[in-house]
Amino acid sequence: MVKAKLKVFSLLARYWAYLFLILEFIFFASMARGFFSLRVIQNILFFGTPIFLLGTAETFVIITGGIDLSVGFVMGFATVLAAKLVAAFIGLGMGPAAGLALGVGITLIVGLIPGFINGTLVARLDVPPFIATFAMFGISHGVSELLLGGVWAKNLPHLANAIGNGFFLYVVPGKALSLFQRPIVQRGQAVLEIIPNVVVITFFFILIVAFLLKRMKFGHHTYAIGGNIDAAVKAGINVKKHLVRVYMLSSFLATLAGAIYVLKYVTGKGDAGAAFLLDSIVAVVIGGASLYGGKGTVGRTILGCCILATLETGLRVLGVSTFDKFIAVGVILIIAVLIDQFSPELVHKED
Amino acid sequence: MSQISVQQIDTGKPGFLEVVAKNWAALFLLILLVVFSFTGKGFFSLANLQTIVHLSTVLLLLAAAETFVIISGGIDLSVGMVMGFTAILSAKIMQILYKAEMPQGASILIGCAVGLAACIIPGLISGILVARYRVPPFIATLGTWGVTLGVQLKICGGYTIPFLPPKLVSIGNGFLFYVQPGHFFRLFKPPPLIEESQIQEVLRIIPNSFIFLLIVLGVTWHLLRNTQFGQHTYAIGGSMDAAVRAGIDIRRHILRIYVLSSFLAGLAGVFNVFQSGLGNFTRFNAMYELFAIAGVIIGGASLMGGKGRIFGSVTGVLIIGVLETGLLISGVEPFYRFIAVGVILIVAVVIDHLFPDLF
Repeated sequence: MVKAKLKVFSLLARYWAYLFLILEFIFFASMARGFFSLRVIQNILFFGTPIFLLGTAETFVIITGGIDLSVGFVMGFATVLAAKLVAAFIGLGMGPAAGLALGVGITLIVGLIPGFINGTLVARLDVPPFIATFAMFGISHGVSELLLGGVWAKNLPHLANAIGNGFFLYVVPGKALSLFQRPIVQRGQAVLEIIPNVVVITFFFILIVAFLLKRMKFGHHTYAIGGNIDAAVKAGINVKKHLVRVYMLSSFLATLAGAIYVLKYVTGKGDAGAAFLLDSIVAVVIGGASLYGGKGTVGRTILGCCILATLETGLRVLGVSTFDKFIAVGVILIIAVLIDQFSPELVHKED
Repeated sequence: MSQISVQQIDTGKPGFLEVVAKNWAALFLLILLVVFSFTGKGFFSLANLQTIVHLSTVLLLLAAAETFVIISGGIDLSVGMVMGFTAILSAKIMQILYKAEMPQGASILIGCAVGLAACIIPGLISGILVARYRVPPFIATLGTWGVTLGVQLKICGGYTIPFLPPKLVSIGNGFLFYVQPGHFFRLFKPPPLIEESQIQEVLRIIPNSFIFLLIVLGVTWHLLRNTQFGQHTYAIGGSMDAAVRAGIDIRRHILRIYVLSSFLAGLAGVFNVFQSGLGNFTRFNAMYELFAIAGVIIGGASLMGGKGRIFGSVTGVLIIGVLETGLLISGVEPFYRFIAVGVILIVAVVIDHLFPDLF
């Protein structure tokens, strides 16, 4: 009897995040009519893309025992750079598709630089991650505001909007099925829009890096460094090089989030990602990662991200002021950590 | 309590390089002052220098709060939000009482008292989480960050709180001395019957905020340097295990540190009301806490704990303040300040890394 009780408790402690997400969903679905629909669920994913990407970025850094405060403003920097570059290329007479591809491509490469600087500071100069990435936070904020000069970036091609707000699949029930292109139908005829493009892009990259963390040497080394850095050195891992790579990966994902922002909103803004810094860290912690390093998976971080994204959309649908979101996020964060502290042997039995 | 005298391992006179490295922050502040005096017209004037310190008051108080927490090896991300929470709460109460036709002084006093009493609560929460439940300080204070942000927005509904007693501003932005050489000399109040055009010519010396700052910083300096409280703080930051063996009640002490930090942040909030005459909420991207932490780190504290001085933190914050105003007066685009603060922060930590035994 006691054993059974203990087992239930241990299961609860380990899977509370899943349970929480389900309860959250049931709560919103019962409170708001039409919440449990394809459209709203897609909306949650659509507006959640920056949280998903930044959360994944943060997961890698937190597993190594560090933290990356710069992701939000690196994302903002990327939106500005991409928007400016695309506008410049098109101004030079390039076609919208070529300009967009080239601009975003260059941005993704430039986006590795903040991560390289972060990683070099942390790994080679022994600057605490908190400080190094905070400095980068200030620098990338400053640079993006300078690039903007006080006005949001503009003159982007319509193609960006078509990609960013388009859907992967369009279905006209019983008649047609079309990829990417919205079919032309008679007025009044329903077109099912399935999976926004940006969600496809986001999860394509997240799956790649999740695979990297779970199955590849890169991931093993990341866990090793977070678990015990001295042991990792003794095991012959080039810790410094690896840390630089982890920070570069983090800033790459943040840049990707920025590029997606440009596609979605067709503009570039210095503080585009500022609001998501807190969310990304909270998502990782809800996902059961430890700030001391060595623990955490991309899958559970995505679960944490889903909880936050659902909360945000749900509160909005209910018409509750967004102020309550901050309270809720803070309380969830504290609960998550308390559960982790109270029952470490239950939660992490398998680790 | 037997005073443990710190053995000074003195190998003759300290070298020049050592002195420079040890006091680089103060030196850097001096250099900034000199450079901006040349590049910015009117930078090196009594009015401007006073303004810099006056405008840095909030950040100085937050940095003082952060100094204690960082020395103990923790971090407090909630200070900026606790500040906003206190400002909103006390302003709201002042607004209500003033509207109910209470005298200005009474409504101000009651508002401040309630605000300062309430601002301890977030500190208690994060202190209990950190000390008793061993939640990492970063996470615990991030939690209170979210909750206090939500609560203050709930109270004010997303707007600043107006219609406060007008006396607030005259106290908060007043000066100790008003002097016009050869004409008059007055305490606290500008002379009556003075025309708007003439007020420019009056020398205004020592803002009231200086006195407030001196008292608060003096008390915290004394607390950290000369009392058992300070010694225990350094001991916990230096080595938690050693502190336990030395018989320090760690849980209680850490709880006290977070409460103190929260209280100092509350003082900053109340001051903010006096300064602006409004109840300002803290915007979620204001990042006060990060600038306060930057000041503390530039001032020579270590995030690993056990190191740091109030004087250092003050220097660090003033560097940020001088940089901000100096760049502005010199006509540089204001966005460079983010970059500059970031670069200085990196330099500070790298210097700390290169000369680890100096502080």
